Amino acid sequence: MKLNERSVAHYALSDSPADHTGFLRTWGGPGTAPTPSGTGRRCWFVLKGNLLFSFESRESRAPLSLVVLEGCTVELAEAPVSEEFAFAICFDAPGVRPHLLAADGPAAQEAWVKALSRASFSYMRLVVRELESQLRQARHSLALHRHSSWKAIGSHCKPQAPDRRSPGLENGHSPSKDCSPVDSVEERGSEPAGQGLAEWQGPASLFLDRRQSPAFPETSYFSTLHNWYGQEITELRQRWLRRVWGSRPAREKQDGP
Amino acid sequence: AELGMRGPKKGSVLKRRLVKLVVNFLFYFRTDEAEPVGALLLERCRVTQEEPSGFSISFLEDPERKYHFACGSEAQCQEWMGALRRASYEFMRRSLIFYRNEIQKMTGKDPLEQFGISEEARFQLGGLKA
Repeated sequence: MKLNERSVAHYALSDSPADHTGFLRTWGGPGTAPTPSGTGRRCWFVLKGNLLFSFESRESRAPLSLVVLEGCTVELAEAPVSEEFAFAICFDAPGVRPHLLAADGPAAQEAWVKALSRASFSYMRLVVRELESQLRQARHSLALHRHSSWKAIGSHCKPQAPDRRSPGLENGHSPSKDCSPVDSVEERGSEPAGQGLAEWQGPASLFLDRRQSPAFPETSYFSTLHNWYGQEITELRQRWLRRVWGSRPAREKQDGP
Repeated sequence: AELGMRGPKKGSVLKRRLVKLVVNFLFYFRTDEAEPVGALLLERCRVTQEEPSGFSISFLEDPERKYHFACGSEAQCQEWMGALRRASYEFMRRSLIFYRNEIQKMTGKDPLEQFGISEEARFQLGGLKA
């Protein structure tokens, strides 16, 4: 089966963060016996994402092997004679032999088993989804909290506006609608922030929304958030002004963005 | 989906291939075969629109070397481009770091603690490279 090997090797050697590195002894590989024997071959291993590369040495420019860590589990193994600190990568697929590896000590063994168990794309996806949902909830509670503080500020102005505002807020970004803040802003007709980098997508849209968001998180997300809260504050303010019959809301403090 | 695919070599011909995105790999099959002809690892790659209904994948270390894909419609092309751009592990890592940071700012708590992975070097904000 063909693979874009040159690019794969580049990725392996690139300065993108390695998730774990170290020397391990290995028994797999071409020309080795079908059952593990001997002390194995000591190679330099690099874990990046869901890919485990091995190299002859730390300075090698081309990987010896690649194991894709999907659909597998990592278990402590019975080492070959007198070998300790061994573990195996076991695959679901039928007829695929477990990949046996051994570390130099108990700490290294534990660290490798942990790192490899969490390496799969599916695990990562699970964590990202969980965080997305947590962020959504955090934003929701934060917005509701802001209403309570606006109530306190405007108490001398008899604020009914904030109470009535809450359902509006729900519509603006209720979790059931699966909207990212960028989309909420768009729905209110204010311009979406972040003309930014056309090729990258803000992660806010990754699972929440199938539509592409042009916002790159590090920069334009914050201006989006500011626009969004700013919009609400503007509307609230207008209602207060109407209620108070034009008297200036001198003490109105903006703790918004 | 079944797409037209052309390799990066000069003079390569457009062929029908069954293309399948699995985690951060793009597998491609001859339409009647069970074993893939090949796969592309989708890390450090760039997905570019080439025509209304076509796109290319190239890799950062050699951007002129492009794998071309022809879709059935512009909508299908957009769908694939979106999916491929989100398919890399590095993209997910950045998303995770971003969400973690946002949640931490909002709640004061580190959401990765529940997973026992808050100390891992790969999730630190400093490791984020644009």
